[in-house]
Parts: sequence; C-alpha cells; structure tokens
Amino acid sequence: MSAVLAADQPAPAASLLLRAEGLSKNFGGVRAVRDISLSVPAGAIFAVIGPNGAGKSTLLNLLSGIFRPDAGTVTFGGVDLTPLPAHRRARHGIARTFQKIRLFRHLTALDNVVAGFHIHCRIPAWQYVVHGAAFRKNHARCREEAARLLAFMGLERRLHVEAGALSYGERRMLEIARALATAPRLLMVDEPAAGLNAAEVEALLERLQMLRRQGLTILIVEHNMDLVMTVADRVLVIDYGQHLFEGPPAAVQAHPGVIAAYLGGAAQ
Amino acid sequence: MSSLDAAQPARVLVTRRLAFLAAVVAIALLPLVFTDTYWRTNLIVCAINVMLAIGLDFVLGYAGQLNLGQSAFYGLGAYASTLLIMRLGVPFWIAFAAAVAFAGAAGIVLSLFAMRLRGHYLAVASLGFAVITYQVLLNWISLTQGPLGIYAIPPPPALALPGLPAIGFRNLANLFYLVAGCALLSYALLDQLIRSPIGEALTAIREDEVSAAALGINGAAWKVFAFGVGSAVAGAAGCFYAAFVGTLVPDAFFITESFTILAMVVVGGMGTLIGPVWGAILLTLLPEVLRGIGDLRLVVYGAALTLVVLFMPGGIAQAARLVLARLRPERQPELLR
Repeated sequence: MSAVLAADQPAPAASLLLRAEGLSKNFGGVRAVRDISLSVPAGAIFAVIGPNGAGKSTLLNLLSGIFRPDAGTVTFGGVDLTPLPAHRRARHGIARTFQKIRLFRHLTALDNVVAGFHIHCRIPAWQYVVHGAAFRKNHARCREEAARLLAFMGLERRLHVEAGALSYGERRMLEIARALATAPRLLMVDEPAAGLNAAEVEALLERLQMLRRQGLTILIVEHNMDLVMTVADRVLVIDYGQHLFEGPPAAVQAHPGVIAAYLGGAAQ
Repeated sequence: MSSLDAAQPARVLVTRRLAFLAAVVAIALLPLVFTDTYWRTNLIVCAINVMLAIGLDFVLGYAGQLNLGQSAFYGLGAYASTLLIMRLGVPFWIAFAAAVAFAGAAGIVLSLFAMRLRGHYLAVASLGFAVITYQVLLNWISLTQGPLGIYAIPPPPALALPGLPAIGFRNLANLFYLVAGCALLSYALLDQLIRSPIGEALTAIREDEVSAAALGINGAAWKVFAFGVGSAVAGAAGCFYAAFVGTLVPDAFFITESFTILAMVVVGGMGTLIGPVWGAILLTLLPEVLRGIGDLRLVVYGAALTLVVLFMPGGIAQAARLVLARLRPERQPELLR
C-alpha cells in the first residue's frame, strides 16, 4: 500500500487539504446546494451527513468536478480547482466512488482497477504501437499493484470475475480499490455502506481507518449517523441543501437542529 | 501472483504471433487457390471491407460511440486520393497519405459532435454527416463530376524492387496482396493500440464515461483520437477502392454503406477486433454465394442478419468462444474463474 499512496503526502495535521467556499448549484428551480462552505484538514476523516435529498451527492459532484457550481470555489492543496473538469481534478489527487455504483460492468475486477492507473502510465508514445520493454514493465506493474489493491479490499479471489457478476458488497469494495489506483490524496466515498450487511460495514470501516493511518484524507458522505459517529473526526450536517452544523461527532448528536432534521421538524 | 498472469503473457504472445503468421499464409495462398477474376475481385472487396469494419469497431466497439458516418470517411478517402492523382498529378502513395490524413481530419470534425452527443443522438448526427457528404459528392459537379462519375482511375503504380521484376497492380493477385497487406497492417496497429493503456481508456469511456473522468481519463480527447484513427483507416480503404474499381460515383458511398459496415461489425461481434474481420468476410461473400437463388438471396441475407442479432448478440466472436469452450472443457474453469 505504501507504494501506492505516495510517502510524501502526509502534511501537518493542522493544514487544510480541501476547502470549498460558498458552493451553490441549482437544477431548474431546485436549489440543490446553497452556499455551502467546508474545510477538510489533511489526514482527517471528514463526514457529510444529512437526510435523503439534502444535497450530499450534489455537493460531492461539485467537489469532484462532475458538476460545475453556479457559485463558489474549490481549493485543493492550495490550488484553485474551480474551473477544472473532473478528469483534471483526478490528476490533482481527488478520487471518488459513487452512491449508485458506477463500475465498468463488462470488465473484470482486475481490469477495473487497472483502468485507475491510467494517469500514472509513463511510457514513450511509440510504445503504444510497438510494445517494448517499458510497455511490458508498466503493464506488469499496473497488474501487480491492482491485484494488491484488490487484496487489500478483500477481493483477492475475485480478480478475474466481471464486475457485473460481483455481489453488491464486493462491488462497493471494488469501486474503492479502483479509486485508490489513482493514488489519491483525498478519497471521497459516497454512501459506501449503503446495502452492505453488518460484517461488510465492519470490514469497510476497518479499511477506511487503515487508509487514514497511511496518510490518506477521506471525505465520507452518509446518511447513516451511527456509522459516521464511529469513524469521523469532523462532521458537516446539511439539510435542504444548506449548511446546518459543523463540528466533532459528539457535538452533532447533541445539536437540536440536527435531531430535528432527522426526526422530522423542531416543532414536534 | 500465480493467479495473476505470470506465465500467461508469454503464451498469449505466442498464440498471437501464430495467428498473425496464419493470416500471412492465408493471404499468400488465397489468390493461388482462387485464380479466376470473379473470386479474386471478391477477395479484394473482402479486404477493403475488413478495413472499414475494423475502423468502425475501434470507434463503436471500443470507444462505444455509435458512428454511422463510416461511409462518408470511406468516400472522402476515395475522392480525395482520386482527385489528387487525376487533377493534380500527385503520385499515388503521396495522394494515399493525404487522403488518409484528410479522412482522419474529417473524423476529428465529427468527433466534436461526439463530445456533446451520446448514443442515439450521436447516431443521428453522424448519419447526417454521411448524408451531407454524399450530397456534396453528388452535387459539387465541378469538382467530383457528380453522378457522371470519374473514369479511368489508374491502379497503384507498379512496385519496382531492385533485382526483382516489377510488381504490377493490374494483376488482381498482386492488388489483393497489397490491399490485404494493408488490412493486416491496420489490424495489427489497432490491435496494439487496444492492448495498450489507450485501449483501457477507450473501454473505460465506453463502459461509463463519468467514472472514467473520475479516474482522470479525458473522455473528449480520447473520442477525438478514436474517431481520427477509425476514419483514417476507412479513408485508406477508400483509396484502394478507387484504385481497384477504376471508376468513382457517389452512390458507392451512400448511407446504406454505413449500415452495411455496421452490420459487419455487429455480426462479427463488436468490442472484439477479430469478430468484425469475419463479419466483413461473411457479409461480403454471402450475397455472392447466394447468387444462385436469384432475388431470393436478399431475403436469405436479411433473415440471416436478423437471426444473428436475435440469437447471437455477441456475433461470430461470441459463437466461436462458446464452441471453443465446448471443444476444450479442461480450459473452462480458467475462463470462468
């Protein structure tokens, strides 16, 4: 793993890795995200929670560049990423998974992860046509590292199975392995525990914590509060696309506005 | 590691080299087996269609872009090379290179639509491109002579290798060697690209463009690349078509040609490179073989197409895999693993 996650990444704990300011996104008349700001410290597990339809996934799409914000900025490691499309942001070290799993369904688990090494491929252009030593070395290295990432996510026996044939839980793990192949500085996971059984959730949390110990910063979007409370260092709560509260997990549970949002209105 | 592919690449490489050698031998022998003009003509048409089909498969089967403009690139290659040769007196091989580049550039222009359009919408846009190209070829009479056509196009100039008698291309066997050799070269080129990280990027875009982008893959740039390569190969096929037939009329590049090429790719099995080769050969020869039954042949041809799509959606390539798995049951666990 240490070879995959570059060793020079862990910054001083206090420094910010990702910073978003005043992000807004409208879909027609629906204001999906309204003026949301957040600061993710390097090396932290940062959670975004909120009820269904609160705008969590939209926020993630704004951060990863799948959507362009109507207003606001995204800064990553001191670089302004706001004008960059998703594929350029990935090259800066942002990787993500999707709430509705988006694997390459007809490719094997191994080939899914190998595709994640695309941006780290360094071979002379002519070797794409005439495969030489550098090509073969790159090919072998990508496959070995992909197999290692799959083993880390518990899929070592499923390397040659088509992604579409994997169980739901295995697909979630494969999506994370594929995201890790890009050697990110920030991993954003969108509801990674949705549809998993208790044992799978346990295994997932263990791995996320292991990745964090290796210096990876993680942004996790969830609507399952219990799960977030056990792993997150810091929690942002949003509701109706708006910032509701940000703070450590313990404070979130005590916050009346959060309880209201989850249980259905302060008036009751 | 044992389950990865420590030993496999060597075996795959040997298999591929043997297959390549077999193709060379087959190309060398075919004109010796079929000595009459009729069958040698069919062989050359097969080789041209193979180029068109694998060029389309690169765009459709790998990058996943439903491109119905292949007939346009074919026609642009044919007219570009012919006009350069006949009007400006450009030597054949320079005209060939220029026509390939021109068809490739036209493909890149169409790919600009592919960046904004997907699936059916791209199909309609590319079909529109094919219609427009056909109309231009038909109506720009001062340049193309429209429906009157261009006649007496010379074959490629004889190849004079030192110490050997000149190889003339009025001889159909030699012309077949030239066209089939180019088809084989195009195949090898596309095959190498597909087995490189470029192929991985294209496949990722085909499977899911959004997650490809999340992995840092620039979908727009790779679509431009795929269209450029696929249409350049079609342009090369067009050059050979003009030099082989000797006359050029726009009707050869009517939009139905796009659908014929599409059928070759689908029947062969898109997303494999070898499938469209067999698809092109089958769909070129089937109407000829069926000539004995007169007009009924079109009915049989249409029925055969429908049956393939209905019962063998993966095409010939899928059928071959199924047959191989049954013939060699001992390898099945490995395939299914």
